[in-house]
Amino acid sequence: MPDLTSALPAATSRRRSASQAIGLLALPWLVAIALIVAGPWILDAYTVNILIRAFFVATVALTVDVLWGHSGYLTFGQSAFFGLGAYVLAIVFMRLGFGPAQVLTTVAVAIGGAAALAAFVGWLSFYSGSTPLYASVISLVLPIVIVQLLYSGGEFTGSSSGLVGFESFDLSTEAWFRIAGLFALTATLIAKVGISSDAGRLLSAIRDNEMRCAYLGLDTARIRIALLVLCAVVAALAGSGYAGFGGIAAPENASFTFGTQLVIMVALGGRGTLVGAIAGALLIETASAYLSGSLPFVWELIIGVSFIVVIVVLPRGLFGGLRDVLAGAAGAKLSEASAITLETADRTTPISSAQDMVIEVAGLSKSFGSLSVLSDVSFSARRGELVSLVGPNGAGKTTLIRCLADGGERSDGSVKIMGRSINRLPPHRITALGLGRKFQAASVFETLSVADCLRVARTRHERPSLLFASNTLALPAAARAVLETSGLAERLHEEARFLSHGLKQALELAMVLALEPEVVLLDEPTAGLTRAERQRFAELLTALARVDRLCVLIVEHDLDFVREISSRIIVLHQGRIALDGTVAEVVDSPLVREIYSGHRSNAAGEGSR
Amino acid sequence: MIALALDILTTAAILFIVASGLLIVFGVMKIINFAHGAFMTVGAYAALITSNLALPAIMAPFLAFVVGGVLGAAAEFVIVRRLYHRPLDAILATWGLAIVVGQVVTLIFGRGVQFVPAPVSGTTAVFGENYSGYRLLLIPVAILIGALFTALLTGTRLGLNTRAVIMNETLAQGLGIDSSRVRLLTFGIGSGLAAVAGAAVTPLTSVDPNMGLPWLIGAFMLVMVSGGSMLTLALACFTLGGLQVLVSTFVSPILGGLTIAVLAAVALRLRPEGFARA
Repeated sequence: MPDLTSALPAATSRRRSASQAIGLLALPWLVAIALIVAGPWILDAYTVNILIRAFFVATVALTVDVLWGHSGYLTFGQSAFFGLGAYVLAIVFMRLGFGPAQVLTTVAVAIGGAAALAAFVGWLSFYSGSTPLYASVISLVLPIVIVQLLYSGGEFTGSSSGLVGFESFDLSTEAWFRIAGLFALTATLIAKVGISSDAGRLLSAIRDNEMRCAYLGLDTARIRIALLVLCAVVAALAGSGYAGFGGIAAPENASFTFGTQLVIMVALGGRGTLVGAIAGALLIETASAYLSGSLPFVWELIIGVSFIVVIVVLPRGLFGGLRDVLAGAAGAKLSEASAITLETADRTTPISSAQDMVIEVAGLSKSFGSLSVLSDVSFSARRGELVSLVGPNGAGKTTLIRCLADGGERSDGSVKIMGRSINRLPPHRITALGLGRKFQAASVFETLSVADCLRVARTRHERPSLLFASNTLALPAAARAVLETSGLAERLHEEARFLSHGLKQALELAMVLALEPEVVLLDEPTAGLTRAERQRFAELLTALARVDRLCVLIVEHDLDFVREISSRIIVLHQGRIALDGTVAEVVDSPLVREIYSGHRSNAAGEGSR
Repeated sequence: MIALALDILTTAAILFIVASGLLIVFGVMKIINFAHGAFMTVGAYAALITSNLALPAIMAPFLAFVVGGVLGAAAEFVIVRRLYHRPLDAILATWGLAIVVGQVVTLIFGRGVQFVPAPVSGTTAVFGENYSGYRLLLIPVAILIGALFTALLTGTRLGLNTRAVIMNETLAQGLGIDSSRVRLLTFGIGSGLAAVAGAAVTPLTSVDPNMGLPWLIGAFMLVMVSGGSMLTLALACFTLGGLQVLVSTFVSPILGGLTIAVLAAVALRLRPEGFARA
């Protein structure tokens, strides 16, 4: 399934240094604090009352925006965590009475319970190969299960009427207003800082292209689960606050319907904008409170219609749309991002010179049911070799690459990278062994800038900051060379989706080299490139093998190109290794002429794509 | 024992009737129609009108199909066709549509609960067990719907075009198949079928503006598990519906209500692509 949110320009693509950011961004926050403090003096009691609830709801909506708008996980289930927080408070206060110890208990149980539930749901939803639709399905089932459990809880949960009549905080509405407002504001601030930081950028990368992340050595499932746990804890605390103020915990707080309302608020306000989610929630909550009394059904109708309209014609929501218009009016403002300094990173992984044989394949086979695609493939390659894998379409070249990079793929046989068996390891673990894979079709992060794509690739070597966005970019010499020869070094600010096909290929290669791999797998890297680009690629690849002493394994159709760059050629034919030898041995062999039948060997590349 | 077996069979039949419309839309368009429950509600009110006007009860499913089908086709034309490349957004937009339909129904008919008498009243003796005649009637209805749509898909030109669009839409377009027409008809038929399901279940439950919602989740989960084929949907309805009856009978009705959703979620975790090619 295509990623749906990838069409949205990432809010994180503009990057400023930390000090500038603080200077520029402090003003709106100060205004917000002033409004929250002054609110109870300006507004009438009824509105204050409504806004207190709305602040708690807005905080949950914020978590929906982080999960959906930023990491691409459409969730209907945040209501479950909100409800959990509400019920924990109600049950503790009901059973144990009210007091400081009970408040601490509530906070501890709400946090612990939400984290445990979220970890379980995350484990269920995110695994190697899970789909966005499946994760959404689980998020849909969660509130339904929770509500049914609440219904069947008897006196303990108050069944369908919920829990009321427990002693709660003795605070004035003014105090509640300020607490709730500052709670929502703090959550927004934390989300904003986190999302704009180097670590937050990983979320956009996962949203744009989860598979590329896995092959950059990132455990995307773990990142997603951690994010869900964090968002669940915030939602649960908001739920506790909501119940503490209202003095009631009801099944509706945890329901699927409330879960969808949260999504509606975020969609209307603007997904992926954070502030839009807060604004959308406050607006809908307040308007509902005023209008649902006088025109109950018409109001719901208006919500339904505006929801459809926003989804269809304004996917970025009111706030996102507004920001686009303002950005368009401001024009040049977008390009004021600070300069990025390129640096050369020292190798963080020492070259294990002892290990000369870097890739060893023995008896590898792969079959789909009764169809055998690869059988008994055995070969090995040393450091500094540039091995070309050739063969007609359907010979199993790409399948072989897949079997080397993902332990779950092969049916039988063994693969060792750097002397270590890959067993059944998932791609991100094999990447950690020292393998880098470049895909056939350029696979980059479309909405991230060139520099950010490379930073994501460096995540394994440089732990990204949770607070700041750096303005330097340290890359290994090989990756830096790719940037400089391709001209990408001058376009570090550009979003990857605006690059030409050739530059995307170069960017992906630079990302793979940024991993500091020992073995590089390249699947037809020159397909669709111009002659000049192809020539540059040839020089780059030979330098990687000769100068950087990497082992390069390349799938290629064009025999001329192969002859020029390779130190060795392996011919795959009908799933078996037909030939394995030097360039001279292979290119002039009768078998190769026969396989590329009808052509003389030096013209064989044509027509095979 | 016989009553239990009949419960399982009739529950599976009801689930199949309810889920088949959703399956048709999902199979062709790879889109989950969250307005499915709302179209069921529309069908239920069509049955209510038929009964209030003292028209013959056999009219109810046909009226429901026409009303639901026209509304569905209109919704496809105005909303859904803009979202084919954003399937998760299509879920949201059809959910918005469900809200709109629910509120319009409320504005017209009020939010009160109403009842439709069963066209077949009383019980029928099956192997010495007296069992609700109307529930038994739903078994042949489910088989008829399944057979009708299998025949439509495999035996007609429209069905051939539809299968071509399912397999390779770009190629189908290249061969001159009007894929947007196929989608329009599919969504219309799926929604019409939802309305028929609504009309079919009304004598067993009550009619109110939100009656479709509880059915939606179960149907949705069954369709996900089935992976898009009529046969596996029937199997899923029988297996999960049967387990639901067993859990409701022997453990607790509340856990029974969760059976389909939870088991389907677990099944999908183990086999994400569903069971279409099992």
